[in-house]
Amino acid sequence: MTDVKVHDLVIVGAGPAALSCAIYTTREDIETLLYEKAVPGGLISTTDWVDNYPGFPDGIEGLTLGDNMRKQAERFGAVIELGEVMGLKKEGDIIRLDTTDGEVQARAVLIATGSGYKKIGVPGEDTYYARGVHYCATCDGAFYRDKRLVVVGGGNSAVQEAMFLTRFASHIDMLVRSDFRASDVLVKELEEKHRDKITVHKGVTTDEILGGDIDGMQKVTKVVGTDKATGKKVEFETDGVFVFVGLQPNTEFLKNTDVKLDEIGLVMSGEKLTTNVPGIYVAGDCRHDATLQIATAVGEGASAALYIREFLEGHL
Amino acid sequence: MAKNITIYTTTTCASCGMVKKWLSAKGHTYEEVNVDTEPHRQAEALAVSGAMTVPVTVVTREDDSQEVVIGFNLSKLAPALG
Repeated sequence: MTDVKVHDLVIVGAGPAALSCAIYTTREDIETLLYEKAVPGGLISTTDWVDNYPGFPDGIEGLTLGDNMRKQAERFGAVIELGEVMGLKKEGDIIRLDTTDGEVQARAVLIATGSGYKKIGVPGEDTYYARGVHYCATCDGAFYRDKRLVVVGGGNSAVQEAMFLTRFASHIDMLVRSDFRASDVLVKELEEKHRDKITVHKGVTTDEILGGDIDGMQKVTKVVGTDKATGKKVEFETDGVFVFVGLQPNTEFLKNTDVKLDEIGLVMSGEKLTTNVPGIYVAGDCRHDATLQIATAVGEGASAALYIREFLEGHL
Repeated sequence: MAKNITIYTTTTCASCGMVKKWLSAKGHTYEEVNVDTEPHRQAEALAVSGAMTVPVTVVTREDDSQEVVIGFNLSKLAPALG
């Protein structure tokens, strides 16, 4: 019978919290394996520009920041596997992870899977996905050169990505359900530099995405919303819709495990970033009460590394 | 075995970089079509995938049959390359 390697630490995810933790653990000679099902760097890798991460006075491209974090972790020996963790279970002192590469075993696990963009949940959104409905401006914006767009949302991502999309689109209608939740700096930039291309519609809900046959393909043609002040329906002719209405945790794989989640799927944590399962820790956007910032995710990742080291010292 | 691999990308797309990196790590060569710098080829990407998104990877096999993989989707990309 072949002995299965038991890793010191498996980190699920490879975003800022995960990579920060890996930089610390590998420097402490704690053997660290990360599992990432999408892009190392996480959600920041699909963000056009990051202006609020310390150390970069002029800001930095999200893709570059994520890639730099990956390189730094790998320099110290972190190993990133491109694959998916489908579930996990603790048996004795070992945590067994069910992955696309088969079973992987670890003494400690950090859940740092972050979050993805949430859907609006309106008719037409699924029907026209990638045929006019998008969640990644840096991926799909180029398909809308000289086209009209609708951007849904009023948070930092919505404002940031709407401004990015002006490099392609001829005009953008921005539908904000109530008022901006984005930082004043971003809103000011949008109002001062992009007023010619972006029209902001505050107090307008997004109710339905409609489409039709264009050049033999079903594509988005219109967004229907409601003006909350008047109660009247409003329509926006458009070639595409980019949705940035908040985040949802990437914790689907934990639903049938012993790890306790809150009602929206965020991982409950105790002191020292522990979960309810000894040896399993959590950091970053997928943690209940997380503040959803790159800087805080990085801080939590570093803290988790120190707590995990404490835990492993009693188990190595 | 793939006879030819074409990837449709944009300059700012993180997943596109991952597909390229993964293919290179597995020893595959590919042709890249960046629809940012070659916007006239967007229609080609759309026609082959039916989706206005990147990355789109088109794997052409020896018998000229094709497999189209949208996104950085290893569960589809790895089998497509045999």
